[in-house]
Amino acid sequence: MSDRSESDRLVKESRFERLIRRPEIGSFIVMIVIIVALAFASDFKAFNALGLKNNIAIIAQYGIIATGAAALMIAGEFDLSIGSMIGFAGMSMAMMLKWGLPFGLGEATPMSAFFLTLIMTLGIGWLIGTIVVRSGLSSFIVTLAFLFLMRGVTEVSFRVINKSTQISGLQDFKETSWFADILGGRVFGWFYDIWFALGGNLNRRGEQWVDGFDARFMWWLIIVGVAWFIMGRTQLGNWIYATGDDKEAARANGVPIDRVKVGLFMFTAFCATMFAACQVFDTNTSDAAKGNLMELFAIAIAVVGGTLMTGGFGSIIGVAFGAITVGLVANAVFFIPSIDGAWFRVFLGAILLAAVFANERIRKRITGGI
Amino acid sequence: MATPYLCVEKLVKKFGPFTALGGVDLEVYPGEVHALLGDNGAGKSTLIKTLAGVHQPTSGQIYIEGNPVTFRSPRDASAAGIGTVYQDLALNQLMSVTRNFFMGRELKSSFGRLRMNEMNQIAHDEMLKIGIDFSDPTQTVGTMSGGQRQTLAIARAIYFGARVLILDEPTSALGQKQQMGVLKTIKRVRKRGDIAVIFITHNEIHSQLVADRYTFLALGQVIGAGTKESLAHDEIRRLMAGGAEMRDLEQELAEV
Ligand SMILES: Nc1ncnc2c1ncn2[C@@H]1O[C@H](COP(=O)(O)OP(=O)(O)OP(=O)(O)O)[C@@H](O)[C@H]1O
Ligand SMILES: [Mg+2]
Repeated sequence: MSDRSESDRLVKESRFERLIRRPEIGSFIVMIVIIVALAFASDFKAFNALGLKNNIAIIAQYGIIATGAAALMIAGEFDLSIGSMIGFAGMSMAMMLKWGLPFGLGEATPMSAFFLTLIMTLGIGWLIGTIVVRSGLSSFIVTLAFLFLMRGVTEVSFRVINKSTQISGLQDFKETSWFADILGGRVFGWFYDIWFALGGNLNRRGEQWVDGFDARFMWWLIIVGVAWFIMGRTQLGNWIYATGDDKEAARANGVPIDRVKVGLFMFTAFCATMFAACQVFDTNTSDAAKGNLMELFAIAIAVVGGTLMTGGFGSIIGVAFGAITVGLVANAVFFIPSIDGAWFRVFLGAILLAAVFANERIRKRITGGI
Repeated sequence: MATPYLCVEKLVKKFGPFTALGGVDLEVYPGEVHALLGDNGAGKSTLIKTLAGVHQPTSGQIYIEGNPVTFRSPRDASAAGIGTVYQDLALNQLMSVTRNFFMGRELKSSFGRLRMNEMNQIAHDEMLKIGIDFSDPTQTVGTMSGGQRQTLAIARAIYFGARVLILDEPTSALGQKQQMGVLKTIKRVRKRGDIAVIFITHNEIHSQLVADRYTFLALGQVIGAGTKESLAHDEIRRLMAGGAEMRDLEQELAEV
């Protein structure tokens, strides 16, 4: 009796039990179900050479901004300005490329347009974060203000400088600039070359059909990889989780929670800028409505991926699974023409609700509530 | 007489119009347990939060080994050797034992990478030293018992080189056996001789068992202080009740 100790009371879990308790398990299972269902329902068209490329294009778009939104949510804050930030960044880059750099600095190159825009968006991210941590106001309301503010500024700038709220027919900078090419060009061509060499990836005339993925696929992988590493394995990651879990406890232990939060608002601004840059250099166009509603998709995907609304818990890999799920369903209408595209929103609403309940259960379990 | 490691002079802390601390003096010596006693709302937690850098004093001065210091953040205070175990323990519920143990002071290699295995080992060993064999350092704190959390917080403060260990009601939420465990831990820390312990409690017996020196707070002010020898037993009881005579209180009770 007396030689029993506290540690005897905790049963060692098997590997399998550990696996099914991982935060990304729910979104993983949903993703597998969707992949299989879509493959059969589309008669495998969704995963032929072109289908795969198109699906991954939208998955990567969602994935880039959802990663930023999830990291910020884990730290306990929201960013509703992501969509407007995308519009603003796209406008800024396209406008510089068409009308030249501001302050009479001459012609813009893709690189100068990108970095000047990035400086502005990171600055706005810093400003939003600073307002949130200094005022103690809810980030929901502060970023909602920036949602309107930046969308308005984007439209006004377009009208004043460009006389129209869209820019199309920019020259194809990918042909002359390696920098534009790594943002808007093709990547992982070897994948499709091998596919072709193995006898697939053929168009109707028997030539190679698709020659690579959109570059945003690579950027998504990079952003997910870096974010996953930072969140799980580094001091900064520990601080981000601690900030969202109990910020007073984190502060008392010397975690610089304000700097962590401001940094993450800058990270979501960075993700929005990458989203916009890939779009501008891919299509050579921009318009004032770009990125509309994207902040809500980003948050929804973060939640579907297992991120807690209350902060302190979530998985970058789970969010990647969420992006795959939502991206595939968003695109499903192109592969299954008989369904109405609006079902996508019905589906998203339903899994969002299911995910919120599932996440709440997880939270109760790890806080000892059940 | 030895010099105090930590000394506080005329410390005032106001929250807006409310004076939580109205000019408090305090001296703590290495190798001693200093009991800080007082009724609910007397200002004990506020005092130690000021010492720990969580609050900035409105006026007054803190000295470490005779030198005036200003703590702008908990980091400053912990760098000066002040290790605090808060009433709410400052633990992150959703995070693991190890991550909490090293919170804010993570062991890292290049690129800020965490040395997770090493950290797991240290967290386990340090908790074992003060009496809890904790098999799974990856368990989340949310699922631990009150006593285990207390042990974690104390082990953490000691490991990170606290010269002043501040314990805010470490026994209040515990069962009898675990309370004694914490008192034993306090005695072990005292025996090292180099650490000063500030021990906040509402339990007279607990303070009698381990304290060498007392300070009594009431309504934000010191109403009595001294070594164990210099204070008579009744005096301690009287001061703990905020200066009221125990007999009067007993009488009041009887009248209800
Ligand atoms: N951040 C704050 N803002 C305003 N008032 C505060 C704040 N913190 C504490 N107080 C007030 O200061 C007074 C002292 O509180 P404190 O927590 O220091 O008491 P305590 O002696 O620790 O009591 P207990 O024994 O119940 O823990 C209380 O009246 C409390 O309401
Ligand atoms: Mg208190």
